[in-house]
Amino acid sequence: MQRAVNSMGIVFFPAFDWAISPTHPERQERLLYTMDQLKEEGIFDLPGIREYKPDVAKMEDIRRVHFCFPDTGSNVTSSHLISAGGAMKAAKLFAEKQEDKSFALVRPPGHHAMKVVHGGRGFCNVNMEAIMVESLRDDYAIKKVAIVDTDCHHGDGTQDIYWHDPDVLYISMHQDGRTMFPGTGFPGEIGGPKARGTTVNIPLPPHTGNEGFLYVLQNVIMPILKDFQPDIIVNSAGQDNHFTDPITNMNFSAQGYAELSRILNPDIVVLEGGYSIQGALPYVNLGIILALTGLDYSYVLEPNYRPEAVQQEDRITDYLKKVSDAVLKQNRSPDTDAISREREGKFFVRSKEIFYDTAYITERQREYLLDCDHCPGLLAIESSSSRTRNCLGLEIPKTGCEKCTELGLQMFEQSQKEGRFKNIQLIDRIHGESLRYRDDA
Amino acid sequence: MILGIDVGGTHTDAVLLSREGMVASAKVATNHEDLLGSIRLALGEILKHDSMEGLKRFNLSTTLCTNAIVQDELDAVGVLVSAGPGIDPAHFRIGTAYSLIRGGLDHRGTELTPLDLEQVKGVVQDCRLQGVKVFSLVGKFSPRNPDHEQQMAAVLEGKCDFMTLGHSLSGQLNFPRRIATAYYNSAVWPMFNRFANSVSQSLEELGVSPPHLNILKADGGTMTMNQARQMPVESIFSGPSASIMGCVAMCRPEQDAILLDMGGTTTDMAVFASGDPLIETESMDLVHRPTLVRAMKTRSIGLGGDSAVSCSDQGLCIGPRRLGPCMACGGQTPTVVDALNLVQGLCFGDVGASTAGIQELAKTFQESAQDCAKMIVQTVCRELKRQALELLSRINERPVYTVHELLEYRKIEPQKIYLIGGPGRMLASFLQETLGLPVVVPDHYQVANALGAALARPTMEAELFADTRKRVLTIPVLGVNESVPSDYSLDQARTDVVGRLCRHLADRLDWNVSPADVEIVEESEMNMVNDVSQVGRDIRVKSQIKPGIVPDYDQAVRCVCKEL
Ligand SMILES: [Zn+2]
Ligand SMILES: [Zn+2]
Repeated sequence: MQRAVNSMGIVFFPAFDWAISPTHPERQERLLYTMDQLKEEGIFDLPGIREYKPDVAKMEDIRRVHFCFPDTGSNVTSSHLISAGGAMKAAKLFAEKQEDKSFALVRPPGHHAMKVVHGGRGFCNVNMEAIMVESLRDDYAIKKVAIVDTDCHHGDGTQDIYWHDPDVLYISMHQDGRTMFPGTGFPGEIGGPKARGTTVNIPLPPHTGNEGFLYVLQNVIMPILKDFQPDIIVNSAGQDNHFTDPITNMNFSAQGYAELSRILNPDIVVLEGGYSIQGALPYVNLGIILALTGLDYSYVLEPNYRPEAVQQEDRITDYLKKVSDAVLKQNRSPDTDAISREREGKFFVRSKEIFYDTAYITERQREYLLDCDHCPGLLAIESSSSRTRNCLGLEIPKTGCEKCTELGLQMFEQSQKEGRFKNIQLIDRIHGESLRYRDDA
Repeated sequence: MILGIDVGGTHTDAVLLSREGMVASAKVATNHEDLLGSIRLALGEILKHDSMEGLKRFNLSTTLCTNAIVQDELDAVGVLVSAGPGIDPAHFRIGTAYSLIRGGLDHRGTELTPLDLEQVKGVVQDCRLQGVKVFSLVGKFSPRNPDHEQQMAAVLEGKCDFMTLGHSLSGQLNFPRRIATAYYNSAVWPMFNRFANSVSQSLEELGVSPPHLNILKADGGTMTMNQARQMPVESIFSGPSASIMGCVAMCRPEQDAILLDMGGTTTDMAVFASGDPLIETESMDLVHRPTLVRAMKTRSIGLGGDSAVSCSDQGLCIGPRRLGPCMACGGQTPTVVDALNLVQGLCFGDVGASTAGIQELAKTFQESAQDCAKMIVQTVCRELKRQALELLSRINERPVYTVHELLEYRKIEPQKIYLIGGPGRMLASFLQETLGLPVVVPDHYQVANALGAALARPTMEAELFADTRKRVLTIPVLGVNESVPSDYSLDQARTDVVGRLCRHLADRLDWNVSPADVEIVEESEMNMVNDVSQVGRDIRVKSQIKPGIVPDYDQAVRCVCKEL
């Protein structure tokens, strides 16, 4: 019998009684065949691999990450708390050295959930990786985190949450935003004015094959990770790049995912999307687990695999070389025009419009970041959506200075008196607290 | 009357019961070279008390197959395995004649590659040339579709003494376990059948002829001797389940509880949830190979009455070695029993020898013999407590897959300790103090194993799987594989699995079970969606007849079970 070279804790929670709607891709059946395959393979019997039950995240765990409006409770269900709790459990297994690696094989996913939450977008309500990373930073002495998002969709939510955070490197490779939801994730998106280069985007053309994914991994992602020197590497492992996925257009395979996992060698893996629930997920998940535990995955081939299915045209190969060079250049010496310089007084500002495709909500935001000399800066986001108007989110960053802390508390008080905002949330990341004010009149 | 015999590692125990109580009991040493001899000896002892006329049932629990497997005294088995994509099946190699056959199914039982029948024929011929007479045929995902296993069986028909088909073992998905279980089942088949023949012959010679002859299984249930002849692997590790069932017969637990069975070298621990002994969700390991043999959830701790006590740099050292009997019985090294002898003032055997042994140990710690003995007993209790807490935390970590189950999760919290086994009784008051739970020592604890074997009733598990898209239904262990209409429902599935199970037991085992005695332990119904429309339902129902005591004897050995 084989024995895992690296031990792995698998937090498996398929939420067999939860769906967005009965025929939605994010439905009860999604991990059923993955479970059947893993059980039939006897994965949980292999010495070194152990199955764990998820924890249930608390509201505080969500509140220290998101500005939820009108409140946290109306944006999450028990299944979100369990999925987030599953990711947190995976983090705990790794951080407490119970396991060499961990895999949160949980649903629902979260990487489209942004800093401000008014409802569901891209099948996501709250961001599992961010909730997990913040628990890691608060409970364990982990400072620098790298999140590598290999879902086919740009993880615009995770990017948004860490846009201004120089201690979290967010790298995403995904199908080009011009051809795919959510329509973002271009090489010019490199992070906020105080966190340049800790956001990296590599858009891939439709029909990129195994060769292309692995080329980008070796030539862009691995060198940038080496420069950053993270304390921990998290993989947002979406499986919708698979050649059989019904909602995307890529040519990636189970062998490709396994190879990618082996090279990237993440500490913690969190499942994101992936909707070819019969033809891909059972094999991709198996491949990832075998690759990360150091076991033989050579025999993991999806039934409808054909070599042509994962090949890519030469023009894609050439194009990817160019994109890779551009991304690396942008990361190491960013174009000056890629850096947002719009200011209002001492604040950097940006405006955004966000559409929540799952909940049919539109939101307008104006974001202010204090240009502080001592820390990443106090963040203030004014937000109004078709569901909840006049909201304000204030965040004192984890490494915030005294001045920013004071100003944050002051703005929280003052904005209540002024009466312009009916719903205000302050996140104090230094003290791990969240305060809320609501004027329901 | 019922006769129960438990052939254990050290002793072979026998009890003869009437509905009113115990008629006779016997205890003889087990001779591992001649298990049949040990059984005959125990039978002879019972016959001295009673002629066993009107004996209705003889239930036997034996270590025969366990020993054969552990000592690797197994027949060569032709293992033919067909697999689809996944882990390379070469990693699951077992035995000396393991062959991979081209062909495979996917997770829904859909054929991906047809079975290479020519290759099967070649392999079978090679095996037969090497003198292989028993076979195991195992397909990946065969509980979803037994077709490949059946095709292999058709080739083998009439060309072997015996074959095990993987899907007939269990409806549970676990290919490596299915391979190992099917292998062991065929590997012990020749020996078990020779043994079964000799047992029948011996009974005849002794003039004992019970109409029902049963073998105890590791899950605390019985199977008929005829069933056991087909499924001998199910008879392994029945010892711990015998003592658990003995405790059930005597005490009728109703709450969460722990059972400790302390023997000479080990203490076996089991757990009751609301009075029912917990069964392993994944089942037991055999020589480090996990199997599909359903078993009671037990943990064996290397600590018993005869565990040697010594001192090392780290302090007191108890077990796992056993260096002969306790000093009170003429041994050379002080043991846990010697310590108990002092602390309890038991006057067991040669008290002077016990005292002298402990005294010698006590010198090292500069303590009195009494204090040293106390320390030994406390150390034993603390270790048992640590192990119990660890087992419970493992059990309470068991995964669940729905939001509902996770939020409604019921943890097991023992309210009582049941203590059986020879040295166990002496430890009772100390355990009660250390664990902070009331301890109960049942009356006939010395022969609990034989009582459990005698009074256990049959158990059975059956899983139904229906795919309304493909319109198929399978109940692997019952050999059911048929078509269903596209509107087949979960309700019908529940009725079907219970009905089929009852019919199977009545037809095959002459055992009439009311459908009310069959429990549904797991069920699920999920829509299968293609693009945006529903194309079928995936229905799964798992049912069982849980371990229990034969109804007409349920008051036979019921004890008062008062707490200390
Ligand atoms: Zn996706
Ligand atoms: Zn500051």
